[in-house]
Amino acid sequence: MVNVMKGVLVTCDGAMKQFLLHLDDTLKLGRKFIIQDLDENHLFISADILDILQAKIDDLMDQISFPLAEKGQ
Amino acid sequence: MGPPKKGGYKGEKSKKRKRDEDEAWVYEDDDTNDTGEEAAVPNAAARDAERNDQNIDEDEFGAKDYRSQMMLKPDNASRPLWVAPNGHIFLESFSPVYKHAHDFLIAISEPVCRPEHIHEYKLTAYSLYAAVSVGLQTNDIIEYLKRLSKTSIPDGIIEFIKLCTLSYGKVKLVLKHNKYFVESPHPEVLQKLLKDPVIQECRLRRNVENESEEFITQVQDKKNIPNFGSKPGSSEQPNDGVTSVPEDITNFYDKIDNEEDEEENALETVSFEVNQEKIEIIQKRCIELEHPLLAEYDFRNDTVNPDIKVDLRPSAVLRPYQEKSLRKMFGNGRARSGVIVLPCGAGKSLVGVTACCTVRKRALVLCNSGVSVEQWKQQFKMWSTADDSMICRFTSEAKDKPMGCSILVTTYSMITHTQRRSWEAEQTMKWLQDQEWGIMVLDEVHTIPAKMFRRVLTIVQSHCKLGLTATLLREDDKIADLNFLIGPKLYEANWLELQKRGFIARVQCAEVWCPMTQEFYREYLVCKTSKRLLLYVMNPNKFRATQYLIRYHERRGDKTIVFSDNVFALKHYAIKMNKPYIYGPTSQSERIQILQNFKFNPKVNTIFVSKVADTSFDLPEANVLIQISSHGGSRRQEAQRLGRILRAKKGAIAEEYNAFFYTLVSQDTMEMAYSRKRQRFLVNQGYSYKVITKLSGMEEEQDLMYKTREEQGQLLQQVLAASDIDCEDEKIPGEGVRNVASGTRKVGQMSSMSGADDAVYYEYKKGNNINKHPLFKKFRY
Repeated sequence: MVNVMKGVLVTCDGAMKQFLLHLDDTLKLGRKFIIQDLDENHLFISADILDILQAKIDDLMDQISFPLAEKGQ
Repeated sequence: MGPPKKGGYKGEKSKKRKRDEDEAWVYEDDDTNDTGEEAAVPNAAARDAERNDQNIDEDEFGAKDYRSQMMLKPDNASRPLWVAPNGHIFLESFSPVYKHAHDFLIAISEPVCRPEHIHEYKLTAYSLYAAVSVGLQTNDIIEYLKRLSKTSIPDGIIEFIKLCTLSYGKVKLVLKHNKYFVESPHPEVLQKLLKDPVIQECRLRRNVENESEEFITQVQDKKNIPNFGSKPGSSEQPNDGVTSVPEDITNFYDKIDNEEDEEENALETVSFEVNQEKIEIIQKRCIELEHPLLAEYDFRNDTVNPDIKVDLRPSAVLRPYQEKSLRKMFGNGRARSGVIVLPCGAGKSLVGVTACCTVRKRALVLCNSGVSVEQWKQQFKMWSTADDSMICRFTSEAKDKPMGCSILVTTYSMITHTQRRSWEAEQTMKWLQDQEWGIMVLDEVHTIPAKMFRRVLTIVQSHCKLGLTATLLREDDKIADLNFLIGPKLYEANWLELQKRGFIARVQCAEVWCPMTQEFYREYLVCKTSKRLLLYVMNPNKFRATQYLIRYHERRGDKTIVFSDNVFALKHYAIKMNKPYIYGPTSQSERIQILQNFKFNPKVNTIFVSKVADTSFDLPEANVLIQISSHGGSRRQEAQRLGRILRAKKGAIAEEYNAFFYTLVSQDTMEMAYSRKRQRFLVNQGYSYKVITKLSGMEEEQDLMYKTREEQGQLLQQVLAASDIDCEDEKIPGEGVRNVASGTRKVGQMSSMSGADDAVYYEYKKGNNINKHPLFKKFRY
């Protein structure tokens, strides 16, 4: 049977690709989402996961950034 | 800036104190037993101007509307500063009266942030206390602030200044002819103090039959202010004919300047003598009565302790800021205790040596490592006429004959050592305890824990204490203790200004981003936290970047130090690149040998060091610093490390960068956050960091290591095989308890009560994203 899946091509650096693979492996987003591992800098992922994935990457960035403006109180 | 974050604890406490005014003595006593830390702080220190603006409207950006409290003056353009109702002061650094305003603000407030154009200061109870102790009067402070300000001064601030200064600095504890006197220019204050039964008990009456309660009145004549090279009056600002300066500002500044001198000519003071055994009690009681005693040492009239014969060499020329800091200390011909804050490399040792030569009594210098003991000795020999017979080192390795020497250099741990000592050391300690020291110089004073310091104080009897440090800052909140253990901050230099004038090196700070390799990042994501550190330090790309930078600077003929907190990484990097390295277990003689080679051997241009070299390793030759791993988010470490290359370079042009400070961080890891965190202090001093995402020229560089996948894979195996101990930062014995875990910070600790919180590390709870400034709200792309 033929399965049709809508996908998005992701271009990223090696480290980010590892992060995506890690999310995929550990089912952090609830399910697998990588359709095809293309090459070092490219992945093909399912389109409907995009929103959650973006939020997840934002979280990562928040984690490794420190607010210089310490106004939040 | 923002509204204060205060726990209820503080308010409760001060209220409680008010209520128990009468039983305060008892209460205080209990307090001492419990915490020990809070005892020596007067109530006024708990006041905080931050609270004055809680009802002010804020817009969505956190800006506050102070218009109702601050009236703009018509000639505001020519006045340099704003005073906000919460005690923050903003100063235009491009104003023609900047210099006046700057000197004044340094005296009365704490610098918060000093970038290029607008400087921020903050009034705190401590800073005002310090201002009073160097001789400023309440009215002068208010009057001068009024004149400098673009707007009217908020009433709350005037009240705050009055509250904090009126009772401070009125009474002094003076040691003269080896008798202690409580002295004051205000007879009514002494009268008030003497009404207190506790103080009355401490008073020493020489002739009991003479029942009169007369004070000893004397006219102080202080023509003999110590001179440091140039005349105090010679620092007059050049009249560059700027007409836009309102006349009242200049006039008043001159007046204040002169007053300092006038006051010193003749001053009538009254005093009474104090029983020596009850000094502690009277000091404590006076703090409770809101009249903290300022300790001064009248070393010129001290006839009991013999003078030592040291003088500054004629070749020792003090720089203007060194002189200024010393004038604060010896302002009225006596020695005040306090802390002087100068950036590393700006010549702290010379300040220390000069202070010793001015007091000319037995001097004790305490520092925190054996290497710096040697360096202090060198400094003494270089700047003063002291020779080997007068200077004596007391460390576990070098035990000169200390008996009868006049300058003793030792380490904190040597003094506070509690285990068994050798017989000789025992004798030395005994001798040390019996001495009355004229001056005690405490190097790197911010590093010693309060407990250790208290021990030092109980062991050593010293008339005056001078603390020297580069960064009055700790990641825990113990800085406030220093105010009352040593004394107020006497002087703090502006880093950028010293840099501009060529007194310290001009440093280019750079943060180099090294992408994690795929394999390393995969492991980073799955492994446990402790191992992560090792993975991002050992990142092959970082290794390559390090190697590239070292080669690049070796070709330029620079001297490079590479810092790594992690010993595993340190060894690996150094051995791979075939460079000498120093870490904790390296023996003293080997250390000195390596350092000597680094200094003089043109073949040794790069050394690797662990954090043992953070402080007090004087390496004047080094001008490049590469940091590959660091102690979490410690701002102090960052500043101390920068200090290693700050010493002004010979023949350097002040306009050009002549020193380089690289921090290597692995991209997409926690290191990024730490690095940002560490930079805050230096950013506040006006430094800027350049972010380098790609080192140009690295591609062309031949035979850098770890180029191939296989080599990288082998490295990864080694890292993964490393034990847990390898993952940790180096622990240095005798370093005191490191307060790394941020979770231990409690609301309502002493420093937050004291208002000194801008000098201490504030840990904000997670989830502060909610109230973040909208401009900084999200870091997204």
